[in-house]
Amino acid sequence: MVKLKINNTDLEVKDGVTILDIARGAGINIPTLCHNERLPYYSSCMVCMVKDQRTGNFLPSCSALGQDGMDIDCSSEEVIFLRQKAVELLLSEHRAECEAPCKVVCPAGYNIPLMNRLLGAKDFEGALKLSIEQLHSYPLMCTDCPGYCENACRRKKVDTPVSIKNMQIFISQQIKLENIFVNQQNILPAEDKGKSEKLSKRFTSHIGRLEEGELMEWLKECPDEVIRVREISDKESAALESASCMHCDCRAMDNCRLRDIADEFSIKDPRGKLVNSPIQKKININTGLIFENAKCIKCGLCVRLCEDFKEEPALCFVNRGFISIISEPLTEEFNNILKFRSKEVIDICPTGALSHFK
Amino acid sequence: MTNDCGCEQTSQEDITSVIDEVIEFTGRDPEKVILILQEVQKRLNWLPSEAVKYICKVTDITPGQISGVSTFYSQFRHLPVGKHTIKICSGTACHVKGSPLISDAFKRILKIDNTRNASPDNLFSIEEVACLGCCTLAPVVQIDGKTYGHVKPTQVEGIIHDFLISGNQSIKTPESDRNEDIDAEIRIGIGSCCVAGGSKEILSEIITVKERYNLNIRLKPVGCVGVCNQTPLMEIVTKDNIHSRYTNVSKIQVEEILLKHIRPRSLNKRIKGNINDLVDTFLSEDKISGQVNIPIELREKYLNNFLNHQVHIATKNSGILSPESYEEYCMSGGFEALYRCIKDSDQEAVIKTITDSGLRGRGGAGFPTGKKWGISLLASGNPKYVICNGDEGDPGAFMDRMLLESFPFRVIEGMIIAGYSTGAIEGIFYIRAEYPLAVTRIRNAIKSCYDNGILGHNIFDTAFSFNIKIFEGAGAFVCGEETALISSLEGKRGNPHLRPPYPAVKGFRDQPTLVNNVETLTVVPWIITNGSEAFRSVGTEKSKGTKVFALAGKISKGGLIEVPMGITIREIVEKIGDGVGDSNTFKAVQIGGPSGGCIPASKADTPIDYEELTKLGAMMGSGGMVVLDNTDCMVDMAKYFLTFTHKQSCGKCTFCRIGTKHMLNIITGLTDGKATLEDINELEKLCKSVRDGSLCGLGKTAPNPVLTGLRYFREEYEEHTRGICRANKCRNLIKYNVNDKCTGCTKCSQECPVKAIPFKPYEKHEINQLICTKCDNCRIVCPEKAIEIINING
Repeated sequence: MVKLKINNTDLEVKDGVTILDIARGAGINIPTLCHNERLPYYSSCMVCMVKDQRTGNFLPSCSALGQDGMDIDCSSEEVIFLRQKAVELLLSEHRAECEAPCKVVCPAGYNIPLMNRLLGAKDFEGALKLSIEQLHSYPLMCTDCPGYCENACRRKKVDTPVSIKNMQIFISQQIKLENIFVNQQNILPAEDKGKSEKLSKRFTSHIGRLEEGELMEWLKECPDEVIRVREISDKESAALESASCMHCDCRAMDNCRLRDIADEFSIKDPRGKLVNSPIQKKININTGLIFENAKCIKCGLCVRLCEDFKEEPALCFVNRGFISIISEPLTEEFNNILKFRSKEVIDICPTGALSHFK
Repeated sequence: MTNDCGCEQTSQEDITSVIDEVIEFTGRDPEKVILILQEVQKRLNWLPSEAVKYICKVTDITPGQISGVSTFYSQFRHLPVGKHTIKICSGTACHVKGSPLISDAFKRILKIDNTRNASPDNLFSIEEVACLGCCTLAPVVQIDGKTYGHVKPTQVEGIIHDFLISGNQSIKTPESDRNEDIDAEIRIGIGSCCVAGGSKEILSEIITVKERYNLNIRLKPVGCVGVCNQTPLMEIVTKDNIHSRYTNVSKIQVEEILLKHIRPRSLNKRIKGNINDLVDTFLSEDKISGQVNIPIELREKYLNNFLNHQVHIATKNSGILSPESYEEYCMSGGFEALYRCIKDSDQEAVIKTITDSGLRGRGGAGFPTGKKWGISLLASGNPKYVICNGDEGDPGAFMDRMLLESFPFRVIEGMIIAGYSTGAIEGIFYIRAEYPLAVTRIRNAIKSCYDNGILGHNIFDTAFSFNIKIFEGAGAFVCGEETALISSLEGKRGNPHLRPPYPAVKGFRDQPTLVNNVETLTVVPWIITNGSEAFRSVGTEKSKGTKVFALAGKISKGGLIEVPMGITIREIVEKIGDGVGDSNTFKAVQIGGPSGGCIPASKADTPIDYEELTKLGAMMGSGGMVVLDNTDCMVDMAKYFLTFTHKQSCGKCTFCRIGTKHMLNIITGLTDGKATLEDINELEKLCKSVRDGSLCGLGKTAPNPVLTGLRYFREEYEEHTRGICRANKCRNLIKYNVNDKCTGCTKCSQECPVKAIPFKPYEKHEINQLICTKCDNCRIVCPEKAIEIINING
């Protein structure tokens, strides 16, 4: 047994237990990014730092074992500052956008990329539902809007923006009048509205200036040949036009641990991001696995999980130091890796670096 | 295989046969991945992707492992290179002596830019290496094993030419000679520094002279004496036991020196020799002004100064002991300590002696060695291992290399004693691949030990058995950290992990593993022989014994020194090193390499002691000591070390991987004159976060050069925000200017590689600032000192 203090509380615990587990057992929350219970500890992200007051040393709690006489501080300003710094540093090389530019500028915060994906998948009902849900209070609003979304659309820099406005107007025309009345009954009360506004003020990461050639990476999301339709008159034309959407939003925007922690620490997106390697999308055509290096925090969870599965070829670390990246092995093509377990690997990724093409 | 022009046309059949041959003796074990890659690269010169694929196919190594490992270590090349590799040392000493300018000159002359790997004729490739360990000859360049020291940018063309014509010269090596009846013994240093200084050529010349005059002399190659900046060093011991030492011997002086001390056997030859000598004297200026005619007192005064303040424990018998001779080591009392331990002591008693001696780890942090051995002995697990950490990667440090090269048997003896005391059965030498000579010497020494029953089964007819093998590092500074070193031994990327568990409890293959630095093991036999009291009597209260330092940089007499703990920095610089020289002023001492800091001259009376140095913000480190003078910029120094640590970071933890990058960006802003006072504050905060938040010693100490810089030289940092570099070192803040001393000799114009100085005989020359690349050539060649460096911003 080991006797130690955590946040000034005396505890007695078993040998060989990490400080993280001891603290969680005592009801103290310590954030983590690179840690997962089912995998051996690694300690890379350093957002779980605690301080041993006895020695004055800071320790990553996910791998530091509780030892006799320790006096662990999990919550002081000093500790929080160091954790914040770790997250800030990670964000400073996180060249990614949590939300698509079109969604960010939309006065209603409408999830335009999702609409495009639903239309593209011919799920017209789904698109209709989305529109009702998200634009319930102002169904016809897009008609009067000057179209900020299209102005912000990244596709504009390739050829012409996606006809977002016309698509949405076409959808809203399909909403039957009674539907609107029904929904008007359901207009959210004032406090709920406040809540949704607060949600939309979540931490958002920005890319900054695009380097040469980076724009074309998003085009990988589109079919090789897209037929552009400006006037949307039916479901087919909507489906055709929606295929030109480059899906600039992050697929992990709602389940990104990095974003959650940034929110928790009220961190602002750091200015002047480090350009480590160019933005790149690797798409595995066999499994639909997408890897975006610029979003990766090099926590190695995917690599450790792959090792655990013993599936080969899988993901691995390549290079050393600042330029180290997660990659397919040098001898393999991205299309050939992770034939069986890619879903689990995507699930374990704490950011949107690994995702599934939908 | 590589063909003659150097370009790679390796066929698939060649690759498979090479790899099959390698696997034959290495085996298929994933742990062997580094060895396999090294051996394959040795044969193919690089690692074509077909080779990597084939290795995966025929061994148990996975594609993920081989990709991770082969890109982690800088030794492995994934692109073909030129026929010859030019290694430009970017160690600390070389950096302060201008290695960036040398690198630029090579690139310019060989037409190598960022887009290509080799010169257009595929003859040469350039590689910047962390440290060649020849710091006293800085700046140093090595082409395929041939070393050039004290290089100037203007000499680069000559060096390439010299290399191309000298490739075919044969060099004679001495045969072993046990004849006792000789007139004199000639000792010549064969440490790396001496070899780089040309000792092999001298050796060859001595043999020629010996044959010509039929001299009755014995040639004896000896290890490093430490006078590394005066190489090659030659010592003549005549029959009547008179020692005469000569430094900086040149080939042309050999004959004269030898004939001065030794009489040729036949009269005829002597007369002939005298005539030759006379003729030569007329012909060669070297001989008249040569050191042969300088009185002996003068010649040896400096040597005595250099040696008198030292205490030799690790380097005992330096300059006398032949590094490759087992018999000689035994005759000088070698392996007696081992015998005594194994025959007369039990494990606890040996550990008690080491504990009582107060010996602390010489790798940097200074953990008590006896305590470490005790933990290792008590740890449960079988088998146990001992590792000798010879991955000395600090730029500016070469103590371990010298000890391994000059005293291989002593290190081995120390390791066997450590093995015996901790109950280990196997020892591993982890030596960095940049030290080929050290690897060879240790390999030969291990073989001699096996031949003589010092290693293997039942040593000295006892139940104790011990085996030693060598592992060559593959070029990663972080592997000097013991947990990273063990990962590397296990065939993984060299990522450190948090301690505890300490390797002494759970290390190599999860077994108890004792990791000791080379120097630590080297002093062990001495302590056993002379007793812990003798060792304790040297040093300070908390730091006992001696410490070996590599003294280099802006110092008149650099070299390898072993000094008692407690000696002050000033004594080392002024008494042993004879001051900074060149009428410059002593500014600071950089101790501990990239983990250490710059100690200002005002603190030079600090004694050498683990705690005292840490108090100043530096650390003992592994023992690099680079002296800086007023022409060195402290911001530039900090940038140099940060560039190094940033490049050598393993990339595992956030603070070290990304934090050092931000620090480097700010400091680069300072050297470019683009940073603000606010940036300096930001830098200081960031330094503290990186120090607190990093996982291993590399990251925790990486901010030290900046933090000590800010502590002692803050005003210099602040000046840089105004665009002023008082040392005239930061290239973007200076320009070259011609002053009124110019006589119009046109030398600068002829030497300028970019034609920035118009040719105007007998007129004052001018430098076109738009074209000037600041290569320094014009300043070097100007006979009138008319080229000066001035600050752009006044």
